[in-house]
Amino acid sequence: MARPQAAGLTRARSETPPASPVEIRILAVGAESAMTQSIRQWAEEAGAQLRHAPDLPHAARLLASERWDLVLAALGERPDEELTWWVDALRNAEGGPRLIGLAHQPSMGLVLRAERLGVLDLLCLPVRREQLLHALELVRSAATQVRIPLPPVESHPVGPYALVGQSPAMLEVYKLIARVASSTATVLIQGESGTGKEVVARAIHLHGPRASGPFVAVNCAAIPENLLESELFGHEKGAFTGAVTRKIGRLEQATGSTLFLDEVADMSLTLQSKILRAVQEREIERVGGNETIAVDIRLIAATNRDLREAITAGRFREDLYYRLAVVTITLPRLEQRGDDLVQLTSHFVREFSLRYGKTIGCISERALELLRNHPWVGNVRELRNAVERAVIVATDDTLRAEHLPDELRAEEAALPPRAGSGLATLVDAEARHLARVLAHAGGQIGAAAEILGIHRNTLARKIKEYGL
Amino acid sequence: MTAGLPPVRVEQALRLLPEIEALAPLRAVLVAAARADNLAQWQSSAPYLTVGKRGVQPAELRPAIPRAVRRIAEHLSVLYDCYVQALECQQRRDGAGAVAALLRAGDREEAVGRLAPARAWYEVALTVSEGLQERRPEIETLRVLGHLALRQGHYAVAARAYQRSFVLAEAEFDQAGAIAACQGLGNVALAQGQWQGARAWCARGLRLAEAAGDAVRIGQIEHQLAVLALRQGDHATAVKHLGCGRERFEQLGDALEMARVLNTEGLLEAQLNRHSRASGAYLEALAWAHRRETDPGLEVSIRLNLAELYLQTGRPFEAEQEMRRAEELAIAQNLTSRLIQIYSLMGKLRGQQGDETGFVFFEQAIELCRTLDRAPVLEGQVYYEYGLFRSLLGQREEARAYLETAREMFESLGGGVELERVTSELQRISA
Repeated sequence: MARPQAAGLTRARSETPPASPVEIRILAVGAESAMTQSIRQWAEEAGAQLRHAPDLPHAARLLASERWDLVLAALGERPDEELTWWVDALRNAEGGPRLIGLAHQPSMGLVLRAERLGVLDLLCLPVRREQLLHALELVRSAATQVRIPLPPVESHPVGPYALVGQSPAMLEVYKLIARVASSTATVLIQGESGTGKEVVARAIHLHGPRASGPFVAVNCAAIPENLLESELFGHEKGAFTGAVTRKIGRLEQATGSTLFLDEVADMSLTLQSKILRAVQEREIERVGGNETIAVDIRLIAATNRDLREAITAGRFREDLYYRLAVVTITLPRLEQRGDDLVQLTSHFVREFSLRYGKTIGCISERALELLRNHPWVGNVRELRNAVERAVIVATDDTLRAEHLPDELRAEEAALPPRAGSGLATLVDAEARHLARVLAHAGGQIGAAAEILGIHRNTLARKIKEYGL
Repeated sequence: MTAGLPPVRVEQALRLLPEIEALAPLRAVLVAAARADNLAQWQSSAPYLTVGKRGVQPAELRPAIPRAVRRIAEHLSVLYDCYVQALECQQRRDGAGAVAALLRAGDREEAVGRLAPARAWYEVALTVSEGLQERRPEIETLRVLGHLALRQGHYAVAARAYQRSFVLAEAEFDQAGAIAACQGLGNVALAQGQWQGARAWCARGLRLAEAAGDAVRIGQIEHQLAVLALRQGDHATAVKHLGCGRERFEQLGDALEMARVLNTEGLLEAQLNRHSRASGAYLEALAWAHRRETDPGLEVSIRLNLAELYLQTGRPFEAEQEMRRAEELAIAQNLTSRLIQIYSLMGKLRGQQGDETGFVFFEQAIELCRTLDRAPVLEGQVYYEYGLFRSLLGQREEARAYLETAREMFESLGGGVELERVTSELQRISA
């Protein structure tokens, strides 16, 4: 089903029709053989230019000194490692050449790995003429992608960040920010990772009565448990090993202003009770100190966890929850924000173009499709990350599919065509699904088996069978 | 039943493990088994993730234990076997054989990072070798003792051992021993910033190696001379020596030495601000390193240099990515000292970005120094960088305190370039 027209996107596309067929420069890597001769002949017949490097070190030199469109790499005894090396090497190479791996009887594991890494294709040796021509066609079509100008974006700067987007879900968030900012009420911001909780907290601070003071942020999950208390409350010199000087804690630093406790659910129960006391009594003591210090702070807390569930599980204090959740703001996931994705993409492209000295004003249709189809488990943070990587590797005024990170490119790549219909066999489908679940479970067989609803021994056997 | 329970954080798991020597391998297994949560990569705390924040599933640790115990048993079996061999040699009055067996045991200890026990084996070997009429075992023992002391940062001890080894080797016309001692003395002088001394020892070693026609040693010393020139900022000389070293190793097809030379070439190009050539050299170094049995320590070193290059060229995003790859490798391969260097560099990056929470990397590095590595030179380097980090954030008192700690550590090791650096930094912030 076709997607509805994106808000703000100019439909008038600018295409870059090549004046003549694009000449592709191919770097073939591997021991010289009769196969290399054939590949050279077929490539030249198809109007491509081919050069040969006998091994990786020589290839590295050629990559550093010349521009290539395509690399045909014969994989040796350690194909997994070589693939990773190639992906690293090509990421930094001029022109962003695509990679085609050549292997004798590649395992299913290798095929899936190649797919995950965004390799254009993995071909069985000996290569057939039509396979090579098909690959060259893919490279040529990438060079003639339809370009769409990026729409202008209205953003609201919030310190080093910005609030971007006009989706109904975000409009509700903006209204809540406006309502709560003028008071000094404690706010709890909930939402998945990467939805912009800190940006919202900063916006509340900047539009509130304490905007002239500092916005003091503490990430409770980033700081080791044994150091978090002294980070929050400060310490006296010599209070513990490593307390080399007196330290003023973040609560004290935030007096008269705003303290933002990010990932608050990661705090230990002991520390939760100390925070609760500080909020209730408005005073603290430094670690190893006797002096009572008055603190007057506006507290904003954030979490990506379900605090009610944490309370039930005994991991979060209920009394602290009610202290924090005076006002609750829940941020939408990126997929709930509709065409904010295009707005955000445009905003990030501009931000990073400025930072990295690029002049990117367009995005290819294929790249946009990939962005739209990605599940974005990391929400806006993941999108920002993907766009930054893409801007870094982009070489002209258009952000293209091949500039996107491997995880996204993997979604456009297909397995090598199978005999006949080109549809995957049941075995292929099972292997691919297993690989996805394993990746999701971080390679943990137990967790993956639980998701798949099979015994771990069965999964272990299948992993071996498919060479995953 | 533990299925579905969240993993235990490494920092918590390590706290549960008493400081007992016999449990050191378990500590290593624990760290190697640690995994980053896939979803955690998008949390706001993700940029600060260290090994301590990774998770361990006790159920996944369990199958690793028999493997670890088997490895320990194999290790002990080799040590016991070396001892029995030494004993047998002594019984048949084969002193050289006894020394060789003891050195083998020390080498095995050194290979698994147990430096203090390695030293103990070498010292017994030295005592035995000193009583022999034949000097070659003593020359060899002094060489390995020097190498170990250098690795630990005990420069004066290393210099004494190499010096004695050299004198004995010359007296015995042991050319290989003399060349190795010259290389060692060159390295000690390099570590102490004594450039003239380093050059003199390298030149002497090179003459001997050329006379002996030892191509590998020639290549290694050319490389050493290139490093020396690079430290002195003499780029033309560095280029010349690197070219010679590269030529030698390319002819020999020595993949690891080629990777090492190219790694240095990357550093040279980076110093000359030829960034794309530098990154090309590092990529080629990685390609050579992957050709043979990989040396993970070397790969981590190349990746860290690549990360430094990205930092230098204002590409913090890519620097971070490269450091995270190096971290992954160091954790999987149990390269604690490399992990400490990685966290130190990550902290440095955060300091450059004015990010105060970057202190978590230094704290993690110090924790690793104390619990897993125990190398004072490395701990001193971490404190030095921690001091610079605090200084960059305008926290002068804390900066001074960390630099003082670093100075004490380097003083206890007998000085060197590091001590000079710390002292001058302390003077700078006191001015």
